[in-house]
Amino acid sequence: MSKKIPITRISKFFGSEDFSLEQDIGMEWLHGDMHFTMVLFRVDKRLSDVDDVYGESGVEEIRYHPPVEFNALVEIADPQNKTYASGLVNQMEPGNMTINVYIKHLEELGVDISYGDYIGYPETETTMRYYVVANDGRVTSDMKHSMGGYKAFYRTISCSFVNENEFKGI
Amino acid sequence: MALPKKNKKNINITPSTVQGHYPYGYNGIVTPNRREELSDMITEHGTMLPKSVLHADLDRGMLDFVSDDLRTSVSGKKIPVIDRILTLQRWGEFSKTWSFSDKDKNVSFPFVVVVRKPDVQPGSNPALQYTIPDRKQFHYAKVPTWDGNRKGYDVYKIPQPVPVDIIYDIKIVCNRMRELNQFNKVVLQKFTSRQAYTFVKGHYIPMILSSVGDESVIDTEDRRYYQQNYQLQLQGFLIDEEEFEVTPAVSRVVTLLGGENKNSKVNDIVSTKTKFEFGSSPGAVTSSKTYLIKVDLSIIRSSNVLNYAIYINGALVSEPAMVDPNDTVNVVITKKTPTDPAWITFQETIVR
Repeated sequence: MSKKIPITRISKFFGSEDFSLEQDIGMEWLHGDMHFTMVLFRVDKRLSDVDDVYGESGVEEIRYHPPVEFNALVEIADPQNKTYASGLVNQMEPGNMTINVYIKHLEELGVDISYGDYIGYPETETTMRYYVVANDGRVTSDMKHSMGGYKAFYRTISCSFVNENEFKGI
Repeated sequence: MALPKKNKKNINITPSTVQGHYPYGYNGIVTPNRREELSDMITEHGTMLPKSVLHADLDRGMLDFVSDDLRTSVSGKKIPVIDRILTLQRWGEFSKTWSFSDKDKNVSFPFVVVVRKPDVQPGSNPALQYTIPDRKQFHYAKVPTWDGNRKGYDVYKIPQPVPVDIIYDIKIVCNRMRELNQFNKVVLQKFTSRQAYTFVKGHYIPMILSSVGDESVIDTEDRRYYQQNYQLQLQGFLIDEEEFEVTPAVSRVVTLLGGENKNSKVNDIVSTKTKFEFGSSPGAVTSSKTYLIKVDLSIIRSSNVLNYAIYINGALVSEPAMVDPNDTVNVVITKKTPTDPAWITFQETIVR
């Protein structure tokens, strides 16, 4: 086990108990009141059937660990009206999804969100949108992700939309 | 005085074909078979004139080329082609892509689309040369005519086709390198000899691969996909049937004159012959014939006949016998040798 270093920053008026309290209050609000639920599909990189040269998988060839439900703060950008061929062949797809998830929540679930994993977001009762993790927000060194500079407590994860040709989910 | 050195010492005075080095080609006299085949394809199911080849036909030819000749499959699934030249009308896109679009009405990956550059430039095939002014008409074919009385020819004339160059962008959009590779292989194989052909209304229209470009979106956080652009230059030509001209050429009237020369001082005698034959059996002693015209019968030759009798409609007559139309003449003979065949030849003088 690696050596632990005590955090003594702003210790005059903020400590680990305060951190835990604030974190629990936030999680209570996010998970209890907001309750944005998503499904995490962690790609099984060992079992997925990949191309020898390119490492690509067909839509039926992606294997993933058992899906896990988790809660996060969700923000989905406006859909972009684009075209593939200089103004022709319209492409109107959901914008990128940004989620903020408590690190503690992931630890409690025993999962980690990695670059390339898929996240299902139930847009309606019948429509599940799938997004691929484009930035797993693993690095949380910035002040924004910490509680007053004390310690990081959440991760911001950026995802871009994938269509059913890439990932079908369940 | 010495002869100039450049004088030819040997001159071949034997006439040769125009293209003697190409024995099966056009010799200036006989149209080669292949050219006739091509001509037949051009005029198939139509008049003797070629059909119009206009912009829409060339576009259709390009779509057919992409659909058929650049057909690509990956893992047993065909990469669909949007079978239409997309235009400004937005709903037209959906009407042609709905069969492979997702629930958001976006075209599913992978797909191939053909985009035409709207500007059509003067053609470069054959080389850009302005040789014939003012849309002069040229002989295309001579077509025989017959209206029941007159036989003649119509001369079909058409002006020089207008060469045009049309630029098409063939775009493949996909999200796997394997699909990109497969399509690239098919295209490059097709254009190994720089050009390929599409077939438009009996004409082979060449096209060349101008360039291959990449427009893939590989941003860090945006949606990623591959997009490659194969630019083809179709070197076609326009033929407009509105410009064709049909003019009558030589016509010939066939006049048949007929009549009787009753008033002629010389009344020509027309006669024919009929041979009545009898078999070799002893009982084969009669033979008959029904006449359609009025004739006088007289015997001119016979073989193995001892004697004979002529009956017209059952009545015995003597020679020369006059036969009216629809009379039946029956000849009964007695053979010299009953077991041999016999015959009598009558001269039939037509009575006017």
